[in-house]
Amino acid sequence: MGSLWVYVVRRLLFMIPVFLAVSILTFIVTNAAGNPISIIRFGIRNITPSQLSFLESYYHVNQPLYAQYFYWLSEFVQGNLGQSLVLGGPVSGLIGPWVLTTLELQITALVLSLVIGIPIAVYAAKHRGTVGDVAVTGTAIFGFSMPVFWVGIMLILVFSFYLGWLPPSGAVSAYPPYWWGNQYLDAIAHLILPAAVLTFASIATFVRLIRANMVEVLRQDYILGARASGVPERSVTYKHALKNAITPVVTVVGLTFGLALAGAPATETTFSWPGLGYQFVRAASVLDLPVIIGITMIITIMALVANLITDLSYALLDPRVRLE
Amino acid sequence: MSATSSGGEKRPVAAKGRRRSAGQWAVAWRRFRKNKVGLAGLVLVGFFVLAAVYGLFWAPYPPRSFDCLYQGCTSLPPFVNWAHPFGTERSGIDVYSEILHSIPNDFYVGLGATAISVVIGLVIGALAGYRRGFAAALLLGLTQVFLVIPVLVFILVFARIFILEVAEGFGLSLITIILGIFGWPTIAYIVRGEILRIRELEFIQAEKAIGASSGRIVFRHIVPNVLSSIIVVASLLIAGNILTEVVISFLGFGTPNVSTLGLLLNEGFSSIRATWWVSLFPGLAVVMLVLGFNLLGDGLSDALNPRLRE
Repeated sequence: MGSLWVYVVRRLLFMIPVFLAVSILTFIVTNAAGNPISIIRFGIRNITPSQLSFLESYYHVNQPLYAQYFYWLSEFVQGNLGQSLVLGGPVSGLIGPWVLTTLELQITALVLSLVIGIPIAVYAAKHRGTVGDVAVTGTAIFGFSMPVFWVGIMLILVFSFYLGWLPPSGAVSAYPPYWWGNQYLDAIAHLILPAAVLTFASIATFVRLIRANMVEVLRQDYILGARASGVPERSVTYKHALKNAITPVVTVVGLTFGLALAGAPATETTFSWPGLGYQFVRAASVLDLPVIIGITMIITIMALVANLITDLSYALLDPRVRLE
Repeated sequence: MSATSSGGEKRPVAAKGRRRSAGQWAVAWRRFRKNKVGLAGLVLVGFFVLAAVYGLFWAPYPPRSFDCLYQGCTSLPPFVNWAHPFGTERSGIDVYSEILHSIPNDFYVGLGATAISVVIGLVIGALAGYRRGFAAALLLGLTQVFLVIPVLVFILVFARIFILEVAEGFGLSLITIILGIFGWPTIAYIVRGEILRIRELEFIQAEKAIGASSGRIVFRHIVPNVLSSIIVVASLLIAGNILTEVVISFLGFGTPNVSTLGLLLNEGFSSIRATWWVSLFPGLAVVMLVLGFNLLGDGLSDALNPRLRE
């Protein structure tokens, strides 16, 4: 267990230079867009010289870029991400609910896609070359090739506009009438379409991978050995084969999830799902610089942590993997 | 590896050199021709290449033409007026013509960005594979960082700030460069892995023992082996780059006056209730185009993967 902690600490230390590099890059790029004052001045009609000088000292715009960066960094370390230029209010307070909204959607989609995807992949691998397998792999590569948000648009057209069964946008209804009667069912009604779209997209990825691994594993001698010694087929498939086929997938699931924390900007925008991705797109279109930097950094940290958790669970699942 | 030895058994020693390296690709092509999935991909990609050429020269209307605004043929549904088979958009853009104009542009982004990624990925991957010590560790670390961080967010920030604020007028080339710069890690990772793997194989050791120069080892043995993996990944990367371009333009972070499928989808979504066909047809075009490259990549990977050779 001791080596595990050393590994975790080393990985956490490794994150620091990554975080710094990403933050410097983001800082420089966002600075190329102009300084915050020129952006908020659109919203202020007659700015007095004293107001202007206050803003200048608040944003440190008269100081060199590296000094501005260190001001930002020291604030960031203290948990202060600055004020949103557009929404008015501290970014750190705004981001929390956005993260939760994104997680609500992404975790639902992840769980659903694994629950549905694994049996499908196992079926396809066991019936390799049959009509069923061709149908599954064909659908998977189709799903893999579709712009996820476009699937969303098509579902909105059919289920919201044409059939009128489900709400086309938002995470909840702001005021009554609620979908399906009460607030809880209302939230579920809003969740169905975006979650279905993301589930479909990740099922496509997972099925392709798990099927490919499963096909390789099923060919191996120990599977033949298990069958020869009379182990029931169900147990061969799910205990002997699947366990080995699925460990490499853990990495992909982790990477996918880490990247999904960015909130699938296009999908969230399509459904106006008020998560990180949607808010990021909104902030980027109006150049709300503190929000852009804040979301980028939070997403980076979350992705790094998700990756660490993935590597750890990988080592726990596969005893052959040693952490170095 | 089996390709380099398979030809030698039949052929006499004199014909060895040239025939063998041609043999690898001939075998791959023979395998590819039997692969229905790969052929389907090739047909789809070929269809879109033709469509791109057709769109460049013979599209019925000029790109981003708003003529219909003056002629009163805006928001026409599809299959009603055969002058506008896929209908027209709210501001009069002909959907069919606009898709034809978009395809060459999407090809440009997809292929251009992939070419940039392959060059960067090859250099970084090769350095990380050959060198040992700090430089290799640094390059490997850089690659891993790029694989872990949510790249799309950075691409969007870059696209938003460079295309719309800093360097207007560069148009699609800027998106292409941004996508290329962010796309190399997969290639670098694979190149590094392949080089590390091949470097230790017996036939390389044998070559070294015979006294082959390192140039010969790199260009006759390592490059062809790495190339087959790169071709597969590149064809999948083209698909990915086209999808990312569609996302960028759909979110309104692309170039507003160059026809792309994503831009058309953006315009379609803004009037989704009134004109659903503006979302449907360009979307189908994206799916078919990306599907073509994905199928092609799958077929190539079956044809080039030495592990699957019977």
